[in-house]
Amino acid sequence: MNYAMALNYQNCINCKACETACKEENGVQLGAHKQRIWVGAVEGTIFGKPYMNLYPSQCNHCINAPCVNVCPTHASHVVAGGIVKVDPSMCILCKGCMEACPYDARFIDDTMVAVDKCTFCDHRIEEYGTTACQATCPTKVRLFGDLDDEESDLVQLLKTKRFFFQKEKSGTLPKLFYIVPDDEHYAKQSISHDTIIHTWDDFKPVYNYARDLRSIEWKR
Amino acid sequence: MKVEISRRRFLQSSVALSVLGGTVLSSTDIMASSSQKEKLDNVLMKKVPTICEMCVNKCAVIAQVQNGVVVKLDPNPYFPKSKNMLCARGAAGIHALYDPDRLKYPLIRDGERGDGKFRRATWDEANEYIKDKMVKILDEEKDNRSCIGYCAGEGMAEHTYKSFMADKFGSTNFINHASICLQTAVSGYALTIGGYGQADLNNAKYVIMGGANRAEAIVTPDTMDLFKRTRGRGTKLIVVDPRFTNTAAHADTYLAIKPGTDLAFVLALTYQVLIKEIYNRTYVKNNFNGFEEYRKHIIESGYTPEWAEKITGIPAKDICRVATEFMANAPQSIYYQGRRSTFAKNDFQLRRAQAIFTALGGGIDVKGGIVFGKKLPLDGHEINIPMYANAKGRIDKKAAAIIGGSGSWIAWRNMVVEGTTPYPIRGLFVYKQNPMLCVPNTAKTKQMLEKLDLVVVIDTMPSDTAMYADVILPECTYLEREDPIKSFAGVEPSIALRQKVIDPMYESKPVLEIMKGLATKLSKPLWEITKKYDEDVQEELEGLEKDESEEDYYEENGFNLADSFEENQEHINEEIFTKQYGKEAWTLLRQKGIFYPNMMKNFEKLDNNSYNYYPEDKKNYTVVKLENENEAEEIDTCVNPRDIAEVRRLFSTPSTKIECVLASMQKKGIATMPTWIDTDYVEVPKGKFKFISGRHAQFTQNATQNNIMLLELMNENFIWINDKDAKLLDIKFGDMIEVTSKVGQVKIKAYPTAKIVPNTVFYIHGFGAKSTGLTFAHRNGASDNEIIEDRIEPVFGSAIMHDTIVSLRKV
Repeated sequence: MNYAMALNYQNCINCKACETACKEENGVQLGAHKQRIWVGAVEGTIFGKPYMNLYPSQCNHCINAPCVNVCPTHASHVVAGGIVKVDPSMCILCKGCMEACPYDARFIDDTMVAVDKCTFCDHRIEEYGTTACQATCPTKVRLFGDLDDEESDLVQLLKTKRFFFQKEKSGTLPKLFYIVPDDEHYAKQSISHDTIIHTWDDFKPVYNYARDLRSIEWKR
Repeated sequence: MKVEISRRRFLQSSVALSVLGGTVLSSTDIMASSSQKEKLDNVLMKKVPTICEMCVNKCAVIAQVQNGVVVKLDPNPYFPKSKNMLCARGAAGIHALYDPDRLKYPLIRDGERGDGKFRRATWDEANEYIKDKMVKILDEEKDNRSCIGYCAGEGMAEHTYKSFMADKFGSTNFINHASICLQTAVSGYALTIGGYGQADLNNAKYVIMGGANRAEAIVTPDTMDLFKRTRGRGTKLIVVDPRFTNTAAHADTYLAIKPGTDLAFVLALTYQVLIKEIYNRTYVKNNFNGFEEYRKHIIESGYTPEWAEKITGIPAKDICRVATEFMANAPQSIYYQGRRSTFAKNDFQLRRAQAIFTALGGGIDVKGGIVFGKKLPLDGHEINIPMYANAKGRIDKKAAAIIGGSGSWIAWRNMVVEGTTPYPIRGLFVYKQNPMLCVPNTAKTKQMLEKLDLVVVIDTMPSDTAMYADVILPECTYLEREDPIKSFAGVEPSIALRQKVIDPMYESKPVLEIMKGLATKLSKPLWEITKKYDEDVQEELEGLEKDESEEDYYEENGFNLADSFEENQEHINEEIFTKQYGKEAWTLLRQKGIFYPNMMKNFEKLDNNSYNYYPEDKKNYTVVKLENENEAEEIDTCVNPRDIAEVRRLFSTPSTKIECVLASMQKKGIATMPTWIDTDYVEVPKGKFKFISGRHAQFTQNATQNNIMLLELMNENFIWINDKDAKLLDIKFGDMIEVTSKVGQVKIKAYPTAKIVPNTVFYIHGFGAKSTGLTFAHRNGASDNEIIEDRIEPVFGSAIMHDTIVSLRKV
């Protein structure tokens, strides 16, 4: 099992249902910078005409997770399914992981006195088969699934679409798959020219190799 | 006769269904050791399907309850309307339930009106207080029940409240959200095509949204359907708006328009398709009434795209292109109806023009167009309505051409304030509405409330209006009550049930019980007043036979006000539902929260994001009666939507056709056809701005203003100003701006942006509460209705929301 998420980001209307459902589901501490998931908005004008791109985001649960690599106490760890988690009882708040994360996906939960982050709602997978953010989304941006299961809805989708990652160059092998819009105009508007576009065929061997290498560290 | 046993049986089945793992707790279980605690948690974990009330959409929710505490609200996949989604507000419903500022027990005013001093009272004391005042008022007004007005916000329990105030108590003076909401749009469509309908955004190929903002003002299923199909995935979306909204961000074409000029845009589209003869001629021949007259009117009035360009600011070539594309995609082309408020004085004509324009392509009552759908039948609850000879008609009926049962808020209030009512209005009951924040010109609403002898507020929160109450009665939230069962019309119709998730907290009660308590208290004393002044009743009492007592007359003729509130809501729902669909369906409804025929057979999960509800051939796209019934079979087999559209239908309008000309409007002084009147348009003087308001996806009007989870997402509103305008005035982001209109003044922080047209400013509705009872909402940003002028449009008396001129000053 290797859980991941595809994001049909062009569906996003920035309604923040995902953010709210996440906070309710996981009891995330309230506060402006205490977010397990968020919607990044890029807006501007082109020759005076406004545009806006929305990138829903959260922890990428990277296969080569730098936050786990730097953690001096092993509080940051990877569990079965390739989900990156934090054990609050082991966290010493050195904030190394927060520095290491290229996505700024971690924050301090003052109530637990530990670093907190997205868990892919791992407590929920068995019963619902998906995360709170996917379930609640009005326009169904997200699709959660298992990369190792060729029959999963996720892999079926990735086989038919092209996709890209945020900050792929940082080499962390992230697992949020942003689906390239079919509409060329919007694709050009919302994807940087130096972003690498992948297909399932070119992506799969790299990830399988990395997963095989790292999954021995995954805690049960 | 209703037998007690049915209620008991219901209670048994409900408990068995809602407790997962179903074992009955004994006292030994409670004393269980800690190793068994986990097991116990599971037993105490309940999942109750119910219906959300964080906004008016009524999406289906599954509430998780752990040890009696609601811990999470999840979407319920069974509901075809909300399709397994719950927006930010829906998910944050828990904080409406556990809001620390909630009204917890009845309160009686203990100071000057409006100064916010109240004392705690028992329900009996509160009802007694209301009774004393009501008796005095009605005695003085000689049993004219209409001297007590009443208003309500939209909701599933609104009907219960109304059935007491209108049917039992007998007041005609009802005002609800319609005249500050979608009255003109709903009626414009109803009078033109026979119904407001629903835009079939799941199948439409071309959609023009003028002023509507489905990304930020979420409507189910429209929002979910639309944004999965934009950007080359089936629907071409044209957004016409003074603001570049989140909806506009998804559009293929965004057309920035000057506020208040939408009618000119639609008229020019109409002109273009008429002059180019690109409308559906067969459809028009079969289904239009007064087409020639309308055609002549549009062309002779010279509503050319060039004419519209000068008014709207939208280039003529864009208007021509949109008109051509719209008709090329027809009948699966929709000029989206829109909801919300009246933009300008011509709003009724705008909605009519939109409806006729859509119809010119044939997109009415056809898949991918505006559809009417079916409704699963449900009987109402019978009420024994008493007749009061002295109850007078509503005060505002002459305020506009057509004043319906829900009135004109502004006209009604202003008459009270100005003392121009035909008889005195002495009191007001307010249920689930907050006129201090929701009706334009707050200063006048305040004056009205100060003038009344009795103000009773029924709410869950100490709103700005509650601060002006004599008595506040705490209602429980939607998670603590069962509401009247509701049937939802649509292409995929269904019935949904709001069930109680937990018992009402504190001393709060559902509105049914509040009405019951009040009715019991008021019934006899008010009966005495009726006997004293009502000549019809006096006459009939004198004529009673020997074996008939006065008590019998009182009971039989509905003067016992409490008689319609004797049964509890669960029992009423069960009776209404099982009569139509049987016991088994009732069990299913309580278990799943939703019912529609063959649900368990046809409901299918495709993946984590999509579900099937009805088979395609059972969806109700085309429902209007056909002139020639034989053609119904052709519709089933027809593959070309254009052919389906062209069939002659019997629309529910007077002529059974699309009404281009409303001759009956003439004598009321209203244009019979959509007409642009230059003098109706409010120009923006140099150096000033037109103020517009609107919504966003994290708050519902002012109802959610104190919700901490939602305040996390946005904790105050900002005033949008065009960045070039801002530069001239040296206004930067975050600067405090004083906004002044003819009726009020507010202070609010600035947000200069290219996302709004010049000479126009905007801020979101629902902020700026002044009630000291609202810890988190208190003085966050500004309230729009404090500066919006109280003007009404001439057809329904609806509040014109976007014609206020303001000036700005950096402070």
